[in-house]
Amino acid sequence: MILSASGFAQGIAIKGTVSDAKTGETIPAVNITVKGTNLHIATNSSGVYALSGIKPDAILIFSYIGYKQQEIAVNGRTKIDVSLSPDFANLDEVMVVGFGTKKKINVAGAIDQISGKQLESRPVTNVLQGLQGISPGLNITYAGGAPGSVPNINIRGYTSINGGSPLIVIDGIPATSNDDMLRLTPSDITSFTILRDAASAAIYGARAAFGVILITTKQGVAGNNVISYNTFQSWAKPTLLPKPVTDPYIFSRVLETSTDNTPWDYVNYNDEYYRWAKERSDNPSIADTRLNPTDPTKWAYMGSNDWYNYFFNNSSLSKSHTLTFSGGATVNEKPLTYYLSADYSRDNGLNKLTADYWDRYGLRSKVGFSPLSWLKVDNNLNIYQTKRALPNGNITDLYYLMPTDVAKNPDGTWANTAAGKLAAKLVDGGNNLQNMFGFQNITSATALFLKGDLQVNADASFKRELWKTHNDSKKYKIGYGPNDIREEGGNGSVTENNGYLYNNAFNVYSTYKKTLGDHFFSAMVGFNSEDYSYSTVNASKDVLISSSLPYLSLTSGTATASAGYSAYATNSAFSRLNYTYKNRYILEATGRYDGSSRFPIDRRWGFFPSASLAWITSAEDFFKPLLSTVSTFKLRSSFGDLGNQNVGDFGYIQSLVPGTSGYLIGGNGQNQVINGAPGLNVDPQTYTWERVSTLNMGTDIGLLNDKLSFTFDYYIRDTKGMLTAGQELPGVLGTGVPRQNSADLRTKGWELSVTYRDRFDLGSKPFSFDAKVFLADSKAKITRFKNDQNLFSNYREGQVLGEIWGLQNDGVFRSKAEIAALDESALIPWGALSIVEGWPKYVDLDGNKKIEKGLSSNDPKDLKIIGNSSDRYTIGANLNMDWGGFDLSVFLQGVLKRDFYPHHYLFWGPYQQPYANVYPWNLDFYRGAADSPEQRAKHSASYIAAGLADANTDSQYPVLQSWLADANYGSGLDIPQTKYLLNGAYLRIKNVSLGYTLPVQWTKKFHVNRLRVFVTGENLYEFSSIKKFIDPEAVNQGPSAWAYPYQRRYAFGLNLDF
Amino acid sequence: MKKHLYILFIAAVGMLTACKKAGLDRFPQTSISPNLFFNTESDLSLYVNGLLSQPDRNTYLNDQSTDNVATTAAVEVKNIMAGNANAQNITTGWSWSRLRNINYFLENYGKAQVSAAVKNHYAGLARYYRAEFYLDKVKRFSDVPWYSGTLEPGDEELYKARDPRTLIADSIMADLDFAYKNVRESVPVGTPGKWAVATLYARAALYEGTYRKYHNELNLSSSANTFLETAARISGEIIAGKKFSIYNTGKPEQDYGTLFSSQDLTANSEVILVNIFDLSKSKSQNVNSTVFGDYEQAPAKDLLQTYLMKDGSRFTDVANYAQLGFVAEFKNRDPRMSQTMVYPGWIRVPDPTAYIQRLNKNFTGYHQLKGYVNSTDNAILNGVDFPVYRYAEVLLTYAEALAELGTLSQIQLDQSVNLLRKRAGLPDLNLATANANPDPALQLQYPNVTANAGVILEIRRERRVEYAFENMRFDDLMRWKVGKLLTKSPEGMFFAGLGKYDLTGDGVDDIILIDRTATIPGEDQKEKNSLGVKLIYYRAGLIGTDATVYLKNGNTGGNIVTENATRNFEEPKFYYRPIPQQQVILNPKLKQIFGW
Repeated sequence: MILSASGFAQGIAIKGTVSDAKTGETIPAVNITVKGTNLHIATNSSGVYALSGIKPDAILIFSYIGYKQQEIAVNGRTKIDVSLSPDFANLDEVMVVGFGTKKKINVAGAIDQISGKQLESRPVTNVLQGLQGISPGLNITYAGGAPGSVPNINIRGYTSINGGSPLIVIDGIPATSNDDMLRLTPSDITSFTILRDAASAAIYGARAAFGVILITTKQGVAGNNVISYNTFQSWAKPTLLPKPVTDPYIFSRVLETSTDNTPWDYVNYNDEYYRWAKERSDNPSIADTRLNPTDPTKWAYMGSNDWYNYFFNNSSLSKSHTLTFSGGATVNEKPLTYYLSADYSRDNGLNKLTADYWDRYGLRSKVGFSPLSWLKVDNNLNIYQTKRALPNGNITDLYYLMPTDVAKNPDGTWANTAAGKLAAKLVDGGNNLQNMFGFQNITSATALFLKGDLQVNADASFKRELWKTHNDSKKYKIGYGPNDIREEGGNGSVTENNGYLYNNAFNVYSTYKKTLGDHFFSAMVGFNSEDYSYSTVNASKDVLISSSLPYLSLTSGTATASAGYSAYATNSAFSRLNYTYKNRYILEATGRYDGSSRFPIDRRWGFFPSASLAWITSAEDFFKPLLSTVSTFKLRSSFGDLGNQNVGDFGYIQSLVPGTSGYLIGGNGQNQVINGAPGLNVDPQTYTWERVSTLNMGTDIGLLNDKLSFTFDYYIRDTKGMLTAGQELPGVLGTGVPRQNSADLRTKGWELSVTYRDRFDLGSKPFSFDAKVFLADSKAKITRFKNDQNLFSNYREGQVLGEIWGLQNDGVFRSKAEIAALDESALIPWGALSIVEGWPKYVDLDGNKKIEKGLSSNDPKDLKIIGNSSDRYTIGANLNMDWGGFDLSVFLQGVLKRDFYPHHYLFWGPYQQPYANVYPWNLDFYRGAADSPEQRAKHSASYIAAGLADANTDSQYPVLQSWLADANYGSGLDIPQTKYLLNGAYLRIKNVSLGYTLPVQWTKKFHVNRLRVFVTGENLYEFSSIKKFIDPEAVNQGPSAWAYPYQRRYAFGLNLDF
Repeated sequence: MKKHLYILFIAAVGMLTACKKAGLDRFPQTSISPNLFFNTESDLSLYVNGLLSQPDRNTYLNDQSTDNVATTAAVEVKNIMAGNANAQNITTGWSWSRLRNINYFLENYGKAQVSAAVKNHYAGLARYYRAEFYLDKVKRFSDVPWYSGTLEPGDEELYKARDPRTLIADSIMADLDFAYKNVRESVPVGTPGKWAVATLYARAALYEGTYRKYHNELNLSSSANTFLETAARISGEIIAGKKFSIYNTGKPEQDYGTLFSSQDLTANSEVILVNIFDLSKSKSQNVNSTVFGDYEQAPAKDLLQTYLMKDGSRFTDVANYAQLGFVAEFKNRDPRMSQTMVYPGWIRVPDPTAYIQRLNKNFTGYHQLKGYVNSTDNAILNGVDFPVYRYAEVLLTYAEALAELGTLSQIQLDQSVNLLRKRAGLPDLNLATANANPDPALQLQYPNVTANAGVILEIRRERRVEYAFENMRFDDLMRWKVGKLLTKSPEGMFFAGLGKYDLTGDGVDDIILIDRTATIPGEDQKEKNSLGVKLIYYRAGLIGTDATVYLKNGNTGGNIVTENATRNFEEPKFYYRPIPQQQVILNPKLKQIFGW
């Protein structure tokens, strides 16, 4: 309308080439923007660009990652060649911030931006796998290596006792859950921006209290038409697994010993059994299955199996294919851009016996056009389908299998052992399929007024997803004997769950910018609203008519139906003001007013302000003499106060929950009942947001012409008014204590990252090198909590999160007199084991001749803090180099300090319970006396060789009593103690990639602009002391480390551009 | 023009904000607000049905705390007797959520628009559940705080002290009396009605009456008779109501056992309240693997010796009764014994031949049959109903209450205990004969029974036998104040020494005991019996040695022993449990009593 640049009609045409100032090589895909308009084009593969209809007095902005941005006035010229010089610190890089962009040098908060290119060579099928260890303060932890799993995502350590993870924003629209990131095709992504401090995140208000991850997808540009094909193929095997003893004699004898030492002498193998075990131990070629001599109708087993080889695949094939068309043209002197991509990925699990994979099919179409010169419209449509297939049985049950089990009988039927039953269940016992199909369409409009000074944006996003899961359980056949094959596994059943996700989001915001001499102002105001609901219908029916037809209609048993529903809505108004003086003093303030359906009407709205300040010291005149060494010096500080609405959808509404009676009332099943009184979930009088305020101070320093740069941030984050059971109340209340905003937490931490970038000639070819290393730490402490007695059963004021209270080991009891002198009866598991020589002994810290666990930190008795399980000093290192067509990248990730006290089978073996494995380290147990000669004669050579028939009073582990470390009871060795505390620190070679790009002059003949082949390895090696037991990341799974194995992958792939 | 734009923009944002503000309410679709509930009879029934809670077939495993059973499980009372118990590690039994659910109903049912009779029926059921809840609390803690309404976090009542046992017991009686007067007779099968309420009423009164009578530490013996009278009155009313009768089809060898292995007890005349199981209706339970006697528990010899001979005489009067082996001791006994425990010659489905008792270390050699379903058919295994209340209990309550009151007559005995004896094919119990000649063996067990001792002891025998493995024994031992009986370690079968033994009753040897130091021969060297079947070998020795069966006197025989831990029952402390230490810290007014 009014302000339209009438100049377009009578503009001039401009052409030119963009090249590297140093090497003179042309640069493709350089972005050229006509200042103050929506007009963007790019250079083509030869570095050439062409513009038409440009006003003679227009200004062109040339930008490209890694180069300094240039603004060039046209001044009526029609040919403008430009050479760009490198920007080692990427200070001119355009950072995506909430509802806008900013040059890196002008950023006042703690923000890190990662280029999507970084994932190009990684054999990862989803972006989450690629983000681990890539940015300081961003912690991504996987609880296991199952395909398609969603990790825990965290920014800056412990957030709140109610949890709280960063907000994920994809193309300007908040994700509805973290697994939205699984739907993205990695190669579609231009950049990830991680907003760590409150002031940067504040523009996203209540859900951004613990940081924001902004993901921006690629867009086509006029002038640079590219067709790309990217693919890789990978082979995976488990990383590190606890390897149990497989010798049948050693296993059996040790297992029996473990219960002989207890009042429950469950494991009793007879002499005949041991004879066979010895034979098989001495000569493993003897058959491991025979007919039971006392009952020839049944099989008997004596395996010597490493079950990992049977159940896990050592070359599990995963793959990914992506095809992209990107580019654009100028139509009627206005750009029309497109970006089309299609992708298929398969992430295969390690299960060798049955389908265990995750698939994604993705399609993205982004089209941009300008119907009017001042208006640009983009439509961004993403259609996706994911599919997860897994068996009904749980493959991690293999940790329970004994080596003496056998999986298959000689006649080919499944063996009557835990291993046979697990394998039968995995193969024949039914399937689980989770299918999700959805789309998200984001339509955005950008209107420019006042010569580009006023910009108005509007985004409308519509997302719908259909979730469909099918689960069936089927009977399977177990061979008890040659003619005794039985069906097991119940009657079979089918369950179908259908879910419907509905999510609409709207943003409207407008930005006004003005430069007046040395003063730059900008102001942004906006409005946002979101509406979300997810409803499910669940139906199941049991008794399959035929095991081969697991369908809902083909069942004859009881049918059940139920439904689920969750919903929330938010409305927000927000504003950001920025003032910059002389490009060196930057002041910014943000405010957001949020309303959420999760709170009662009168406490629904919250206002969350923030402010930040930056001083680019190196731009000052007095700094000039220093510039030759210190090229950039910037100080930043910010403070923000945000809300956390991470609470239940309907938490404040008290209601009666219906359910189904567990009894046959009137002889009938499926009786609807009310499940008792409404719980006191929250105190409706006070229930409102948690408030999270973060103070951030940071600096950016560039040395040697910014080749070497440092970024350091220090922060204090206070999480206040955490919703929690306000205080412990007497049990007579009869329900959980209602939650109030009554606890506080403080997290302190810092992040340091060091980047070195350089480019020089090596052997007459340019060599470029960059390295980024970061180290981050955080520590959280409870600063307010109502727990007057400081009971261990709850949080306590002054408690450092992760602290481990335990006993101080004092060796083992060596005589009856020692046992009599120290009363450890309070530690006896199940009140039933006896304290004998070789029992663990502890230091009597309170000096009362009795070892006891205290109930509170006021009176911890013999407990003290022996370690801390939090991740400290997380580290990431990324090295890239590039020479003569070769490129190499190495990526390390780790946690340099954390303690881990082991629980359960994978560490304790028979000390836990006598129903699973014995591990090699368990064999170093206390043995008071050597076996008699006649006893030795019964043993296998392996048993004697392992020294198990000899006394071992100087052992690592105490007397071998089953249940001594029983994790179900929490006594004995299950109480943390100094001797068995493990160091959970690790440094992992996450990825090494080597690529080679064929010279363009060769490939050009085939119209190929770029052909790069690469080989890469993921999770290649780890430095860690805990790896003797488990994969160091398995600690994330929990105290038992009972994780689906992590995958070591080797891959090759290619990138092809036309 | 600029101005217009700003106005336009601000207006647009403003409008959006205004119309969206109202739209921020979201309500759950899978739960209902209390304001919209408690209106109709169907609402009341939905809620009260949600309170339904009944024992199931796990009950057959619940005698592990008593002298009926040897167990390897870490049951609470065993741990306490082992001497390691305190308020820190005995922390169960202090859950109050059920009471909150009950009281919430009692606070809200009144607003329903239904007749008083309908309201009182449902309120009666809720009060019945409350009485049951508090009865459990009294059994454990004696004095507990009484709450008749739900509590809020700020309530001072949260911090009150224990209320005296008398107040709790009177409140339980008041609840049961209201329930008895108001709950309907006709209710959906599987849920409690008037007569189920009455059964609990009588049970609670008998419990409290006998408890007060024998536990002098409470100083409440003067009020014992009031409760005993209530027990006698209510059980008498149930009998007089003639709604129920002992299940007796004239087959003493199986009528009793039928009660524990039936697919359908809903029409059984003896069953006052049933917990229904039906695999095809997704309600199933199978305790075969635990109940049978070689996983966690096994019947104790002491129980076997309590059963009378078939002719009504006492087994403990048989000469040499303590030296009888497995086959001999099952001969000519009260037929209920073979319906409760595996007997010589019993065949386990699907085996073709008689089951040979397996001897396991820490077990008695006896196997439990009550609760075991002798089938391999899944639908049958999982579909056996459980009798929650049997009429037999009412009869035993009636007789015991009257006997303790000293007013029992032969006629009343014939109307009660003798009906149970009839079903078992035993001769009647005669009041005068019993009192004239009390069983010396039982007198040793229950030395505190004085007046009317003969008949009281016989009623106690009847109760132990009739209700073996039905979770009655522990409460009985407690209320009769005979905790000392728990200090005896349960023993098992008797063996005269090493050698061969017949365990199936066919006169052919099945097993052989050899010395623990001997080696069990290889399969081909094993000795065979006259039927050509290999003997099963056990190495016998003292407990704690490397033997496969533990005998009291090692290789010279004796009863099977199951443990060698010493047990100490401290009186009266061990009749009670401590309040969990954590709760005492939270509310210091909750004082521990009886030396805890």
